[in-house]
Amino acid sequence: MTKLDKAGKINVYGYGRVIKQTSTSFEDRPELADDTFGRLYYFYLDYKDVVKDHLDAKAGRTYISSAAVSGTIDGLHLNVRNLGPVGVTLFGGRNVLFDNKSETGTGGDAIAGASVYLDTIKSTHIEASYGRKYTDSDLARENVGLDFSTTPLDIVNIYGKLQYDTVSDRVGEFLLGAKAAPLKSLLVRGEYFQSRPTFDKFSFYNFFNVNNYKEFSFAAEYQLTREYRVSGRYAREDFGGDSTANVYDVGLLARPIKDLTLNASYEKRDGFAGQLSGVRFNGTYRVAKAAISAGVDYDDFRRELSREGNARKYWAGVDYELNKMFSAVVRVEDNTNFAFNHSYQGFAAVNISY
Amino acid sequence: MLNARALKIFLMSTALLLVVVCLSFARTDHKEYRDAAPEDCRDCHSGSGVMENHGAFFMNEHRLLAEKASGNCADCHAQSFCLDCHNGGGLAPDLRKSLSRRGEYMPRTHRSDFISIHPLKAADNPRNCYRCHESSFCSDCHNRQTQRNRAGMSFKRFDAQSNHIPVFDSPGVLNSGWVAFHSGEAKRNLQSCQACHPQKGDCTNFLCHPNLRGR
Repeated sequence: MTKLDKAGKINVYGYGRVIKQTSTSFEDRPELADDTFGRLYYFYLDYKDVVKDHLDAKAGRTYISSAAVSGTIDGLHLNVRNLGPVGVTLFGGRNVLFDNKSETGTGGDAIAGASVYLDTIKSTHIEASYGRKYTDSDLARENVGLDFSTTPLDIVNIYGKLQYDTVSDRVGEFLLGAKAAPLKSLLVRGEYFQSRPTFDKFSFYNFFNVNNYKEFSFAAEYQLTREYRVSGRYAREDFGGDSTANVYDVGLLARPIKDLTLNASYEKRDGFAGQLSGVRFNGTYRVAKAAISAGVDYDDFRRELSREGNARKYWAGVDYELNKMFSAVVRVEDNTNFAFNHSYQGFAAVNISY
Repeated sequence: MLNARALKIFLMSTALLLVVVCLSFARTDHKEYRDAAPEDCRDCHSGSGVMENHGAFFMNEHRLLAEKASGNCADCHAQSFCLDCHNGGGLAPDLRKSLSRRGEYMPRTHRSDFISIHPLKAADNPRNCYRCHESSFCSDCHNRQTQRNRAGMSFKRFDAQSNHIPVFDSPGVLNSGWVAFHSGEAKRNLQSCQACHPQKGDCTNFLCHPNLRGR
């Protein structure tokens, strides 16, 4: 429901699904067959300019995201803007946890937090955030987050993030990166990322001192012409000790003729935990009100000291717009893999937009 | 004490923001560009001081932008666009995505036969899994498979004769090779341990770590 008021400041957004599974093949999990499942993903009142130019509010079930903590809450999210040079967000409510197709969270699961942000300097954003998660009314997580992004030169952007876990008393996540556009059609990016596993406060895993995961990556994308783009990425992953892995990605995006989009990508990974070589091709062609898509995925993998094999997936689908309100989608897929000679799946849906 | 430390860091960060001298800058509303082709973004963004995004590797980049309190994702995307990947659902039709057995969209990072491949992808950056899944998502499934003693769920082997169940040279004396293997694996990816052993009580040999607290 949108534009509940004349100015369009008050809107209600909702999204949920109810599912009844008709298959009887559940591999010893009869609980999946017995019930009708449902999820309410979000349902909130969005009120812009509660106080003109200073306060936006969301109330109800909504997704919140910050450097310190994120999740879906049944609660309140306030964005207090233009407090001089800064803005402040406040959020809190019951933490909505999904398992299978239903909710598992209790009244004691909660998220609360706040952030202070500055983006009044042109092309610079700095934000400090603080968040807590409660499980069964016990404090499970307490994080402080810092993130920034700045573009000191028109062609260079520097960004970073730090998440500090006060329960484990360690930096859980650190990211520093730079993005540059030395040519109009060329973007390059270099990043350093490191993380250390952190756990809920009551978990005994908190008390182990473990290695950092470190990753250096470099990526580039080049727009050859308006119709063709090529891209590549390399990442060096370091798991501590002698355990490392190299990951390569290359891709091509092409629009050789009007209404036709083609994608091709190749990924290669070699090192700790195993090897993977995978290619993907897919394309979409628009004909009048229909978008016809099809694709092929092929992956060859070697897991360290366990299974190996290849997987092939073929899929095709049509998205047809009947009119502004109704559209229909049909998709079919065949997957040949380690577990199945042929695993078929498909779905058909009618979408109503109003 | 923990709270005091957190408060201190938070206040210092806030102070840092306040000392920065600011110029006036208004966020650009992008609603009117909602249907524009991504390559058209360059027309405005090139040399504008705001780097263009939504490129080939936006899957990696989008998190920082989405976390910004003043971000403008909502100018073009409803929350369902995020949740289709992060919590399942399937409101926006993206025909490139497969469905899970529970009928949820799977992000394209979940390559074909993802059940076979997921240990590789989970190793890449263990945190990636936890951005969308609770730790119980791993442990529920791993525990079920382990109870069925499925061949595909065999544990990493320490040597040809034994798996990661502790190896004793004599009663009460652990094999040093096993100890090195065990600690090495745990240090590299402790979160993978949690996939099968979410609780302290799941480990039958906690005599080895008598001083560990927690559940």
